[in-house]
Amino acid sequence: MLKIEGLHAGYGGFEVLRDVSIEVGAGETVAVLGPNGAGKSTLLKVIAGLLKPSSGAIHFENRRIDGKAPYEIVEMGISLVPEGGRLFPELTVYSNLMMGSFNKRTRRYFKDSLEEVASLFPIIKQRKNQVAGLMSGGERQMVAIARALMSRPKLLMLDEPSSGLAPKIVASIFEFVKEIKDRGYSVLMVEQTVKKAVNVADHIYLLESGRVEFHGKKEDFLENPKIKRSYLGI
Amino acid sequence: MKQIKNLKRGILLFLLALLIVWPFLFQSKYLLHILILIFIWSYVTTVWSYMGRFGLVSLGHGAFFGIGVYTTAILFNLHHVSPWLGMFVGGLVAAAIAVVLGYGCFKFGVIGHYFAIATLVLSEISTLVIIALRDALQTGGRLGLTIRSVGTSPLYLQFDNKMYFYFLALALLLLALFIWKKIDESKAQMALKAVGEDEEAALSLGIDVVKYKTAVFALSAFLTAVGGTVYVQFTMFADPTTCTGVGLSLGIVFKAIIGGMYTLWGPTIGSLLIVILEEYTRLFLGSAYVSYSHIIYGLLIIVLIRFLPKGLHGTVSEIFQGRRKREAKTLLAGRQLAENRD
Amino acid sequence: MLILNSVVNGVLFGGVLALMAFGMNLMFGVVQIVHLAYGQFIMVGLYLVYVLAILYHVPLLLSCAAATAAVALLSILAYYLVVKPLLKAPPINQLLALAGVWMVLENACLALFGATYKGVQVVLPVLHVGELYIAASNLIGFVVGLITLAMLYLFLNKTYTGVAIRAIAQDPEITGIMGVNPRTVYLVTFAVGGALAGITAACFVPVYSVHPHFGGAFTLLAFIIVILGGMGNLLGGFIGAFIIGVVTSVSSTLLNPEIGQIIVLLICLLIIIIRPQGLLGVRGK
Repeated sequence: MLKIEGLHAGYGGFEVLRDVSIEVGAGETVAVLGPNGAGKSTLLKVIAGLLKPSSGAIHFENRRIDGKAPYEIVEMGISLVPEGGRLFPELTVYSNLMMGSFNKRTRRYFKDSLEEVASLFPIIKQRKNQVAGLMSGGERQMVAIARALMSRPKLLMLDEPSSGLAPKIVASIFEFVKEIKDRGYSVLMVEQTVKKAVNVADHIYLLESGRVEFHGKKEDFLENPKIKRSYLGI
Repeated sequence: MKQIKNLKRGILLFLLALLIVWPFLFQSKYLLHILILIFIWSYVTTVWSYMGRFGLVSLGHGAFFGIGVYTTAILFNLHHVSPWLGMFVGGLVAAAIAVVLGYGCFKFGVIGHYFAIATLVLSEISTLVIIALRDALQTGGRLGLTIRSVGTSPLYLQFDNKMYFYFLALALLLLALFIWKKIDESKAQMALKAVGEDEEAALSLGIDVVKYKTAVFALSAFLTAVGGTVYVQFTMFADPTTCTGVGLSLGIVFKAIIGGMYTLWGPTIGSLLIVILEEYTRLFLGSAYVSYSHIIYGLLIIVLIRFLPKGLHGTVSEIFQGRRKREAKTLLAGRQLAENRD
Repeated sequence: MLILNSVVNGVLFGGVLALMAFGMNLMFGVVQIVHLAYGQFIMVGLYLVYVLAILYHVPLLLSCAAATAAVALLSILAYYLVVKPLLKAPPINQLLALAGVWMVLENACLALFGATYKGVQVVLPVLHVGELYIAASNLIGFVVGLITLAMLYLFLNKTYTGVAIRAIAQDPEITGIMGVNPRTVYLVTFAVGGALAGITAACFVPVYSVHPHFGGAFTLLAFIIVILGGMGNLLGGFIGAFIIGVVTSVSSTLLNPEIGQIIVLLICLLIIIIRPQGLLGVRGK
């Protein structure tokens, strides 16, 4: 579904991503793990069209998407939940969700989409008219995921969904991710907290200083002795 | 490279010599008048560009110019104070205002277009003050005022022969260019360049950027007011539209942009072009058509900002200095990385 | 009584001012551009009404509507020719390019119409309510201003484009990944801003005669209101407009009008330096 080959990207003359190749199959959940500064967020930014790669290719459903504008990429069915949610702070929950269904492909399904995400996150019905900036971190994260789902994506990308949240809330966020996965979405997730992410993922990529250091199935990841030592603390 | 430098120096010396003997060779009073205007505006624009080089676009220099004009005129007309003294007083008033406004702005981080707006407000205030003082200080309000004539009197900076103003204005321009060079070579300026104008980094090198910028602003304001004094002694007439306010401020900035606000000669080249453009339309189309020259002028500004944001001279000299620019770019990229790294 | 009278008229005039400031505020909030030629757009609107109504005898209301549409078009043109190519340039370049637009428009009007005052001589009655004298022109401006603002409120809250305009002012990057093409939103914003300048001009028709240097003062007035309310803060600008309306009205009744203006400008300077988020703004929204 999503195929990234030999991707290089960075800011100015400095490379953050070096020769990264990643694949996400239909219905799969892929987790990209790695320490802070490894280039995980940059990867999602490049896919979403917020940053132009310096070389390499990105294909989505056999169409080349690198170099396209963010709004074109949403239209094709890729949606990003940015780190911390990044809701529009002065808009209500409802207006934020409206923005989620902005693209022409899904605008007419607004009501259906709203029902669908409300079945996942009941909170959005209760807080419909609340200004997003006044919500708690966990609530914001949920609304942000709901907003991304409003664009009826085929691929949902999550940038550190657990960042800055209390452990209990992190657990429930990952429950939601599981539920989303079960509903048939493909998910590409970037995470720093390894254990939780590994639980929901089918495939794991390990990114270190902009390079893919490991990729494989969840089982292989868990069995790898080097990874066991440095990431799982076993 | 050294040969080019020598050639350049030779041409400049030749031009300077030509300008010095010019009034003795050619008797045209009209050309002399135009040259004086070019010198005065080049001077004011160069002095303005002391700030522009920091990316500080002041839209308040019209106010400083007006302070120079009106302080001198009022002190002379009402109290018979010599314009030589008036020039100094006006300069100090302008510098004082620049210190208060500049320190406030730089201290609180009012830069970029916010600084432009703050100084724009100052320009508007200057116009209003002159109008409000039409009776109290006999500024004449919108109708303007005339300097009392005393014939030729060096003590009162009045000369029937324009040649004196010619050399005075030329001397001022040379002074302004000299100071530009000095600022450019100053230690603080070098250090600011080295850190890419990053204020915190500059502070770590022991340069108080707020103080430095305020000082440059004050110097620039002082010299601009001096320019105002010379201008009004030359024209003997002042009104708020030509001698102060937003329009004049924009005029100064535009001249700098057209020539190039980051280079030594840019402001002079810009002033030269604009004064000639205005005179040309006035001469060949009649003064009723001055508005046409201003339309062209406005369009020129828009086109230049779009295609040559460094100005005419700035763009030309950049082609010769391509290497330096690339270095600056790497520096910028480094800073961006530091900000964006995830 | 004199003061109360000028307060009432000031509040009424504040309605038009709110409309005027809203346009500039919108363009600042959304496109991050300081529209230095905004007053000149109002001026062009007034000249258009004059040309249509006086020179071509078009009915006044129709003239006003046509002028509004024309100013909106002019604003779109300015977006394409001046603003769009400079979207990635430093803000100061955008500001100066718009100063170039100011210069072009002002001198074009000077060349076309000369330096004299031109106006549509509309004589509107002064209404007598109790002991108050209310200029009907102020009342019309107030009503038109509020109706337009109410429509804008609905537009910005209920339509996709309107919500996108608000969203982009808050987080341009994220607005892109919502599927919004920012260029389209900027274009709509300039069209709306231009239309607001046009409607403001229409409200000014019974109040002012126009001359080529008419615009500068209103650009500045719009600035002051926007700065008072906090740049980009639409509600703040709305309240600021009424404050300025009353202050201007009262100070010109009691004081020399220039002194009133100077005081307002000095306060404005202080606000820029000390509270750039505006008197009514919240820091780091």
